[in-house]
Amino acid sequence: MSVIEELGLVRIDDRLIHGQVIAVWCKHQPFTRIVILDDGVAADQFMQDVLRLSAPPGLQVEVFSIAEGIKVLSQDTPARRTTMVLLKSPLAAKRLYEGGLKYNALNIGGIGHAPGRKNIFKNISASAEEIVILKELLKQGVKITLLTVPGEKSQAFSDLAGRL
Amino acid sequence: MINIVIVTHGDLGDALIRATEMIAGPSEGLCAVSLMPGESPEGFGDKLAAALQPIEGQETILLIDLFGGTPYNVAARQLLKENVECLTGVNLPMLLELVMARDNAASLAELAESITQKGQESIRNLGPMLGRKRSNESVSA
Repeated sequence: MSVIEELGLVRIDDRLIHGQVIAVWCKHQPFTRIVILDDGVAADQFMQDVLRLSAPPGLQVEVFSIAEGIKVLSQDTPARRTTMVLLKSPLAAKRLYEGGLKYNALNIGGIGHAPGRKNIFKNISASAEEIVILKELLKQGVKITLLTVPGEKSQAFSDLAGRL
Repeated sequence: MINIVIVTHGDLGDALIRATEMIAGPSEGLCAVSLMPGESPEGFGDKLAAALQPIEGQETILLIDLFGGTPYNVAARQLLKENVECLTGVNLPMLLELVMARDNAASLAELAESITQKGQESIRNLGPMLGRKRSNESVSA
């Protein structure tokens, strides 16, 4: 099994790269690489250009489908500790985990409101199905933290799960 | 007429429109689309699409607040359409100039370029420009 705990951060944020938030994270952790795992963006060259254009200088941005990403990130790369993996949804996090990329910690930074989703913390909403997925990951031993940017109030999903 | 759509976080776009109309009077072909707290990018994209639908195919300039923010991530895709330009860093001088200059523009691309310059030129650090005068006045006061 790959040594996934060495990944800098595995994060769910449906906004993906949005300048100011990534910039704040980079002040707290020395990221060199952002890896976006999303089937839609992987198939959308223009969206990739839009995201790369606004990424903070010095950050390499790579985009893969989830299946491709599992392969790429399972290989040992020197930049792993400084890699931020960005996912759009709990479903993507589940596919990654079940596909063999066993991360120990998961950050939830932003999931916008949408029909079927209810707000669970600050700017984070989740549907009933997504809550089930997060509870499953929790049961597997993944430490799930709800936190937009370092320095703000965070919430452990384990403390929230009983009420959801 | 060239349409103007302001795409921002919160109510900034509506406030910019009110401020512009305060100076230049009521204006047509001008609207704002706001990303609200907790709104998903997809939901925001749907809202933007609904605002653009009635002016589909017409010349349009999107004024976006923050380069790299979610309104940028969502709205930049409109560049794939012909007759659309996207500018970031929207400020009141840009919007005012656009409202006043849009009817006389040689081309949409040229207008986009001149509005971008206008926005940049409008940002001034007044201290170094007026500082000496201010200290003289405070001495004599």
